[in-house]
Amino acid sequence: MAAQALSGRAAIVHDLALENYGFGGDHPFNPLRVRLALELCEALGLLEDYPFVSPRPAAEDDLTTVHTITYVRMVQKAGRSHSPPSDLLDYGLGTPDNPIFPDMHEACARVVGGVLAACRIVMAGEADHAMCISGGLHHALRSRASGFCVYNDAGVAISRLKEEHPGIRIAYVDTDAHHGDGVQWMFYSDPDVLTVSMHESGRYLFPGSGGVDEKGRNGGVGYSVNVPLEPFTDDESWISCFEAVVPEVLRAFDPDLILSQNGCDGHALDPLTHLSATTRLYEHVPKRMHDLAHELCRGRWVATGGGGYDIWRVVPRAWTALWATVSHQELPERVSKDWLSKWSGKSPVGLPPLLRDDSEDYPQGPRLAKLAERNLRTVDEVVEKVLPRIQ
Amino acid sequence: MLLVKDSMTREIVTLAPDETVGTALALCRERRIRHLPVLTEGRLVGIVSDRDLRSATPAFGDQARAAALQEILVEDVMVSDVVSALPDDPIEQAANTMRDHKIGCLPVVESGELVGIITSSDVMSALVYLVGANEPGSRMEIAVPDRPGSLAGAAGVFGMCGINIVSAAMGPTREPKEEGVVRERVVVFRVDTIDTTEVVGYLEEAGYSVLWPPKP
Repeated sequence: MAAQALSGRAAIVHDLALENYGFGGDHPFNPLRVRLALELCEALGLLEDYPFVSPRPAAEDDLTTVHTITYVRMVQKAGRSHSPPSDLLDYGLGTPDNPIFPDMHEACARVVGGVLAACRIVMAGEADHAMCISGGLHHALRSRASGFCVYNDAGVAISRLKEEHPGIRIAYVDTDAHHGDGVQWMFYSDPDVLTVSMHESGRYLFPGSGGVDEKGRNGGVGYSVNVPLEPFTDDESWISCFEAVVPEVLRAFDPDLILSQNGCDGHALDPLTHLSATTRLYEHVPKRMHDLAHELCRGRWVATGGGGYDIWRVVPRAWTALWATVSHQELPERVSKDWLSKWSGKSPVGLPPLLRDDSEDYPQGPRLAKLAERNLRTVDEVVEKVLPRIQ
Repeated sequence: MLLVKDSMTREIVTLAPDETVGTALALCRERRIRHLPVLTEGRLVGIVSDRDLRSATPAFGDQARAAALQEILVEDVMVSDVVSALPDDPIEQAANTMRDHKIGCLPVVESGELVGIITSSDVMSALVYLVGANEPGSRMEIAVPDRPGSLAGAAGVFGMCGINIVSAAMGPTREPKEEGVVRERVVVFRVDTIDTTEVVGYLEEAGYSVLWPPKP
């Protein structure tokens, strides 16, 4: 394979204990999605040369690089006690989105440890690219759990890398359907951290932020890039917006490492959002992140997971495509028979037999041309107002 | 809450009537403001906007401009019949006054003394906070019958699901699509959740029509 010659090594950071991050019951953030994705990779033979690297949980002082100690204590208490403190709700904990579960601090700190480990492996040159699919909890705020996210793995990893490699420039690229608000706010005035988020417009969708005008503060103006897309945006328009913005802003910034958040909840089947992408997008984005990492920062690229709530039909295939790119392996055409026979009895919906969606199954809506035009206007605004501020 | 005094600017840049238009325009530029109250011995006697100042002076490039900037005085161009607000006025009243008079700002006066200034962009900020757009949340639009208890009923469904309401804004009635049907009002809820699927189900079961989010 041509890519093999370009760059060799990839690492996958995972541990069964990472699958303890979940909220139980019918909660949409179900760790089964990670299991389904990795088992699909395995069944397709994509993990043969890649043993899991097992991470240590993040330490308390890793977490407090971006979270307050009061908040960390609250998470610790919430996961331990039988009578949770009454001010839990002030920290976004114990809500339907972020219910408390036993040992939640440990489970959440382990996810952070996973992404931190992936970043360190890449920075140490032990691998060119690394993936930790449990990561990508981009909504977690300084003192508040939000949108299924308790600790902000990308935030901690970026802060730690900044300490360990003074002067490092990190580009964070978030293609989850929701705005990457937590990471953005953590580095809002930092010109050494570029955050790029493409998401369904916050006019209606959670968390509501992520307009083009959120472009950073003080010295960080220009280093927060937001591309809000219209509801019902399809692959075609999404990819053309991605191509018009992401390569240019990354080139202007010239990072030392790219950290990508690969939420796949912009898929047409996702129950929580209103975008209309297919697996085509989730094959395109990783490929481009890979190429840009080689063009700009000697291949240094760390990929995390993120949102994705059609856990049967979308998440396994999208993240298999991600891993295939991270590890320079060809994406097979068909979903493995073994995987299908193991899971189809348990799935409430029919499982697709092919790894790639057929565009015929996703007919174009009537207003698509209008949406695409509006998206292009957004892109023009980003290119005019934000891009020139990046140095 | 939501009074003029909660949103007004208290540090005010003011002018005296005998200052020149040139000085006034320079102030607007430096401080990036568009409205300047004019005071005589602490009393409000007028107001000028950057637009009043500009339209009173020759255009850029006109040779007469430099001289005019020095010669024309603030009192020659200011509006003396000033529409003002009280600190305890509700913000919606200030907004309505600005809208009626087609003006962008109101000096805030208490016992004859200028205590602040409120502009249309202050009103905008108040609106952002009012609808909770500065906090994470999902925006939902729900049509409820224009009858007592409708809002409480819809809000109760969120309470039952344990979802906190960040803000609720109810609009005017809209005409029903068919005759004989109760008129409806649209309520915009901003709620602290990423996942609205369950609550949408309960709202529809309870007979409310959810206009956004759309059904999957």
